Amino acid sequence: MAERPDKDTMPTQTMRRLPILLIAVCALFWTAAASAQNVGSYGAGLIGEQQAELDRLTAKIDELDRKVAASTEDDAKLVALRTELETVSQALLKSGLAFRPRLAEINARLEQLGPAPGDGQPAEPDIVAGERQNLVAEKAEINVLLGVAENLSVRVKRLIDDIAAKRRDLFARLLTKRYTIDYALVGEVLTAFSEEMGDFYRTVSSWLRFVFQFKLRSVTAAAFFALAAAAVLVIGGRRLFGRLFAADPSETQPSYLGRLSVAFWSTLLPSAALSVFLAATYFFFDYYSVLRGDIGVMLRSLFYVVAVVFFVHRLARAVLAPAQPEWRLIPVGRSAGRLLVALVSATAFFTGLDHFLSRVFEVLGSPLSLTVGESLVSTFLTGALIVLIGLVKPFVDAKGKARPWHPAFRLLLYGLGGATIVAGLLGYIGLARFMSQQIVVTGAILATMYIGFQSAAAIAAEGAFASTALGRRYRLWFKVDETTLDQLGLVVSVAINLVIIMIGLPLILLQWGFQPGDITAWLYRLATEITIGSFSFSLTGILTGIVVFVVLYFLTRWFQGWLDGSVMARGRVDAGVRNSIRTGVGYAGIVLAGLLGISAAGIDLSNLALVAGALSLGIGFGLQNVVSNFVSGLILLAERPFKVGDWIVAGTVSGTVKKISVRATEIETFQRQTVILPNSELINAAVGNWTHRNRLGRVEIPVGVAYGSDPRKVHAILLDIARSHPSVLKNPEPFVHFSGFGDSSLNFEVRVFLADILGSLAVQNDIRFAIVEAFERERIVIPFPQREVLLRRESEPPAGDMSAPPVPVAQAAQAAPAVRRRKRPDPV
Amino acid sequence: MKKFCLALAGLAAMSGHGMAASAVNLDSEPRTLIVTEGGSKSEIAIGAGETVQFCPNGCFVTMPNGDREALNGSETVEISGGVGRIK
Repeated sequence: MAERPDKDTMPTQTMRRLPILLIAVCALFWTAAASAQNVGSYGAGLIGEQQAELDRLTAKIDELDRKVAASTEDDAKLVALRTELETVSQALLKSGLAFRPRLAEINARLEQLGPAPGDGQPAEPDIVAGERQNLVAEKAEINVLLGVAENLSVRVKRLIDDIAAKRRDLFARLLTKRYTIDYALVGEVLTAFSEEMGDFYRTVSSWLRFVFQFKLRSVTAAAFFALAAAAVLVIGGRRLFGRLFAADPSETQPSYLGRLSVAFWSTLLPSAALSVFLAATYFFFDYYSVLRGDIGVMLRSLFYVVAVVFFVHRLARAVLAPAQPEWRLIPVGRSAGRLLVALVSATAFFTGLDHFLSRVFEVLGSPLSLTVGESLVSTFLTGALIVLIGLVKPFVDAKGKARPWHPAFRLLLYGLGGATIVAGLLGYIGLARFMSQQIVVTGAILATMYIGFQSAAAIAAEGAFASTALGRRYRLWFKVDETTLDQLGLVVSVAINLVIIMIGLPLILLQWGFQPGDITAWLYRLATEITIGSFSFSLTGILTGIVVFVVLYFLTRWFQGWLDGSVMARGRVDAGVRNSIRTGVGYAGIVLAGLLGISAAGIDLSNLALVAGALSLGIGFGLQNVVSNFVSGLILLAERPFKVGDWIVAGTVSGTVKKISVRATEIETFQRQTVILPNSELINAAVGNWTHRNRLGRVEIPVGVAYGSDPRKVHAILLDIARSHPSVLKNPEPFVHFSGFGDSSLNFEVRVFLADILGSLAVQNDIRFAIVEAFERERIVIPFPQREVLLRRESEPPAGDMSAPPVPVAQAAQAAPAVRRRKRPDPV
Repeated sequence: MKKFCLALAGLAAMSGHGMAASAVNLDSEPRTLIVTEGGSKSEIAIGAGETVQFCPNGCFVTMPNGDREALNGSETVEISGGVGRIK
């Protein structure tokens, strides 16, 4: 609270000094580089230069040390000192780096000269000994200087830590410092306020006079440039996101995603444009030196406040949309919406006003009582407004009755508002101000993040991404289907969430008084090294590993496709070999990608080997089957007893091979049932393959003729039928086997060879039809067993009276096969 | 606004961070580097044939033979015979 008006001149001074410092560092570097080119002769010069530089830096650090010790009250000054110290730290490192070329030269030369001769060795020429001595001396000198730089860097770091501790203390004191608030304060504040307002008026009007008289052209130019920058953003934004930007009043039922995107863009774009305008104005004012020290500070604060208040107001309008009920994100009533927008904007306004006024009072060097009084009023107002927001009954239930906020949210609002008021009234002005500012700014950031999360969730909903403009465009360009678009929507949603966290979290942390340096340091540590016990890994490493794996995986797939489709197809490689090579290349690629990914992730493969060694026994027992199937799969790929498309018989399973993978083989039976057969069964047991080398196969058709037929004639007829079928091979020629004398028939068997065993059913049908027709023509009978069934009536005398002949009631014919048929698999 | 810009700059700075310096020990015995980084001195023991990553933002290093060097965080240091060479 008791800050001096000159507190913010520090960063400006640093800013002004920065170019000079940069030039100095560059010059230093250049001279260092130049000295390195002239071997030896400038060695002493380099040491002298760096000695001077280190002396300068030491002096600077001493000065900064004193300043740090002196400024225990001023946060901004401490931040500025910290920045300066960081610059010094960089300069120290650069000074150390300047020695490198010379050191390399000295080392190289010393190596050429070799070690000094020991006792008993012939002495070397004086000139060599002298040079070595000189070089060693110079190196020692450089080492000493580097040691000095090193120690200085340690000291600088300690100072930086010191500053951090002081700022923590300061912040804690700011929050816990108590001011007396009594009636005397009121009178004091009122007099001081009127005085300071007069002061303020004089300051501003004198500045305005100065501007109008001397800097009018600069101001006009600055305003023009700033407006142009903002206009580019607004017009460009509207052209890019035109439809997303404005709520279409004619739309009666906008989708949730549409409402979200309108809310998001209609908040973001104008706020960004205004911010750009203000920042550009400030920049150009500064550039044309229109600003004086005090006015600059006040103007910056004003701009900051204007931007924040505008943003909060736009956000509230976008979410509650009092004029357009259909476009509201939160379903509040019309009048409640209007009231809430007003309350939220007022809260932001009063907090901003407090921020601005306290800065003005600081600049004008007003009495502390004024700042305390002003902050008391504004924090009280802010707290009251927040409680009022909690009191509003925004929702409307089915009966048209107003419903309050969710109890938890209401309690939170009451708590925050009440705590702010109580803290202010008790005199903890610092705490009250901190709270009210955090409520507004952090609240706004959280609300924006919430909208962002909601839109991410809405995009992830089924079919939502396809209906967005981006989704439609993407679909048009890449011709992808619904499912792919849906999956893309998921990816987009995850990406949005990540971006929100990556932007929102640092923003909130910055609001809470953390330094960008701290945050980057944390993030860096988080990203580069996480240690669990003695095992350490890094997030970036793991991400790199995943990326490497994915890239290699797709590369493998592409290579596989290219090898199979272009090279092997053209080379007329056998399908089985092709399949084996493609599968092999695929697995090898995945294993390679996995290994490279793991090593890119920074996980030491030798550790894995250790683990694998320890587990191998367990794996040997536990995963015995899997391993055996895996090895069998590899053997299948190498040996190729069957290929995809073959008709195989393995145990009781018979069918076409569909896919051979490393663990199991897919077989489709002729009933179209898919059987997954573990590879070890295909390796350990006999597998019949009908189509291994060719599709040639023999079909047997047994047939019986009645005793009494002429067997030679039958033989001739059958042979003729077999020979005359177009699908039957001439070589090996068909054969008719007179296979035996059955119980009631002479048994024959027609054996024909077919070029394609897969078409055997049709051939069998043809031949059987032909046999039946030919036998009918030649009156040759195909016998079948006959059975006589005798039925006795119940009333008839029981057994013993055998004189009465049984009455034949039925003659049943059984179509039992005349001969034993050979069982063979059904090919369809 | 100011803080927002700072946050953006921070993010940009973070993404701009490169790899750290690395040291590889070509000797057959373990070597120790003394690294002064961020105000604290630490000893890094490097086993024979090992490579370690250290010093992402610049540091001062004392080699096993006592030579001192400043690193800006992108170098590779090769140690052979206790002598560190910067590549």
